[in-house]
Amino acid sequence: MTGTTDPSARAHGWVAHLRDGGTTPWLAWSATGTPTARPLPGAQQLELLRRLNLDPRGPVTPELADRVLAAPAAGRGKADLPLVGLPHRGFGAAAVDPETISAHELLRVASVLLADDLVALGADPVATSWPRPWRRRIRLVGDPLVATATREHLLGVGRPEGGPRPFVVAIGRPLDELLARTWTQRCFETGATPWAEWLRFWRERDQLPDRADLVASVRRWGGRRPFVRVVTDLDRLPRQVGVRSLPVVRVPGADQAELARRVAAVVGLRVDRQERPGLMRTLQRRIPDSGAAPVGVPAREHEWVARSAARTVRAVTRRGYSVVGDVADLQPRPAPTSSVPSGPDDRQVLDLAIRMVVDPGWRRERQRREEVER
Amino acid sequence: MSTKVLLHVGCPKTGTSYLQDVLFRNQKVLREHDILYPADRFDAHFLAALDLMTLPWGGLETEAVGAWDSLAAQVRDWHGTAIISHEIFARATPTQVARALDSLGDAEVHLVLSARDLVRQIPAEWQENVKHRSHITYASFLRTIRDPARDSKIGSWFWAVQEIPDILDRWGASLPPSQVHLVTVPPSGSDRGELWRRFSHTFGLDGLDLDLAAERENPSLGVPETSLLRTINQRVTSVIAPPDYRPLVRELLAHQTLSRGVASARLGLAPGDHAWAQELCRSWVEAMADRGYDVSGSLDDLLGPALGTFADPDTVPADELLPPALDAISALLVEGARLRAVEERLHEELREARDERDRARLTPSYRVKRKIVTSLEDSAAGRGTLDAYRRARGRKQ
Repeated sequence: MTGTTDPSARAHGWVAHLRDGGTTPWLAWSATGTPTARPLPGAQQLELLRRLNLDPRGPVTPELADRVLAAPAAGRGKADLPLVGLPHRGFGAAAVDPETISAHELLRVASVLLADDLVALGADPVATSWPRPWRRRIRLVGDPLVATATREHLLGVGRPEGGPRPFVVAIGRPLDELLARTWTQRCFETGATPWAEWLRFWRERDQLPDRADLVASVRRWGGRRPFVRVVTDLDRLPRQVGVRSLPVVRVPGADQAELARRVAAVVGLRVDRQERPGLMRTLQRRIPDSGAAPVGVPAREHEWVARSAARTVRAVTRRGYSVVGDVADLQPRPAPTSSVPSGPDDRQVLDLAIRMVVDPGWRRERQRREEVER
Repeated sequence: MSTKVLLHVGCPKTGTSYLQDVLFRNQKVLREHDILYPADRFDAHFLAALDLMTLPWGGLETEAVGAWDSLAAQVRDWHGTAIISHEIFARATPTQVARALDSLGDAEVHLVLSARDLVRQIPAEWQENVKHRSHITYASFLRTIRDPARDSKIGSWFWAVQEIPDILDRWGASLPPSQVHLVTVPPSGSDRGELWRRFSHTFGLDGLDLDLAAERENPSLGVPETSLLRTINQRVTSVIAPPDYRPLVRELLAHQTLSRGVASARLGLAPGDHAWAQELCRSWVEAMADRGYDVSGSLDDLLGPALGTFADPDTVPADELLPPALDAISALLVEGARLRAVEERLHEELREARDERDRARLTPSYRVKRKIVTSLEDSAAGRGTLDAYRRARGRKQ
């Protein structure tokens, strides 16, 4: 590298360097390049590209690099930021050192790339089988992760949900976990507000979201006492839905859910409304594991959760619904210590996003079908 | 192929809603004069802007899929002049600007920016934030936008859509200055038609027989009314979702009820903020004076009015909040009553539908069939028989 006094040529040189798989930080860069007709990308895009190149699976191809450089940062946050050290016109956003850009800002760009990847991939087909005429008629409500996985499995083995006069099977869990799973599943459907904000919304309304409110869910499907089962012992769920076993349910970690939340918002801008569920279902199946724990209810919300759970337990008992398991299992688990993180960590989410952008494995692999006993 | 495209990209709070309403309602007349304003709904260009800039917007973005490409295709296919107008285009990044201009084909693109001085824009933007669920105080808002780091969502958005020289740099960099048109909002107290005359001249609408009656405007609020709305937001923003907030708070309370308080004090700037805003505007005017843009109005309009009496919206006494609060309660009760009537009507329709269904079920043959079905549903063999029967009859499960 040679010293130069032309900052604009230096910036173009850095763009070309990153496009070729380089990883040198902006402040350490001094060589020049030839200006192109394209506008200089924002610091967010450039820094994300550098981080992608730094990934052990990198560097990225020039085609992917071009996509990164052209990707917008989704949402109403900062627009493209100028690089520190370039001549400032006196107007526009303050220049930044790209290395100091937060994970949150980089994720705004990464989520656009992943959304575009997902749209290009298309939705995985849904496995279906001829409906068995003798199947048990059921309607699943409650824990959205288990209900969704069970619903898909049943469809695949010819025992689709629904039909006349169904048993309403309400899948219960400790309410704190049920809330976490409701938000998580929503992230993989239409997206949601951030976890803490979402939780506060319901706490301040003193209401439960539809799928976490077991009694309201049962009522919505017109469940009458003899035709309702509240299942808290999941080992006994297969029998309630008329099969011998069910596949293990994958519980996404906080980082996976948060990334899906961000991707869902962009997918909403890319495809028609009816296509988004299929694409997000595909993401839910294919998103790589990261080992991060699922989101949890923070200690400050625990009192409200305990109160709501007690209300649910009272309502289930008063209505006399059959409980498969122990109704006390609807109560929340003990409050976590305040030191336990309850929400997603942006850095972990960014690591996952970078991994998914660089490594296309999640897009290539054929979806493994879990072997199930029929 | 359009021969000319007039691309109006901002700024917010410069009479854009009125202009877009006139263009939307007069599409037929405009077409007769070879001018295209392609919009199948009032907010068509807003959706196109969301699409172009990848901006999720409280769920509305799902209606924006492909909106920019569709708009650009209509413009390309038109044989005369086409107009595109929405104020949030002002926020586009250089990359998005390049994509937008590329997609308009070979037409001669004219950039239009309507602009108003910061002395009036700052209070107006704070009000706009309050009408969009924010409960930030006026003092915090001013601190936020005066922070040179522009790190916050509010600060970065404000400057992205209000910093006139920067918007012109981003949008106009590839255009000759003669194709960049700046429409300044006339000073307060000017003739009400003056802004329209400036728009009309710039968009080439002079002499057309257009219906100019205002159907949609974005009215401003007085100091106590905005203060009340901010206080309401403190209570409701976290518990009212955007799809409910828009009709109930923004439309019903802010636009239809509180904006009627025309006698209330108007919001301005405190002396220190006023001096800062005017100084900044002066530097903008100096920067733009030599650029050779076509200015409709005068750059001096952008210096803003002299310092006026300042009423602080963060310290409005309770007795001044009371009248608008009573108006708000009254409007909500009337709306509640209207919704109750709607609910009652729907219940009535449902009752009638059920009665009709029950009458149809009173026949002996239906009752026999129902009994058979109910018995069969209780056993696996029965359910299998029913399924086979329904399949044979071609009925859905």
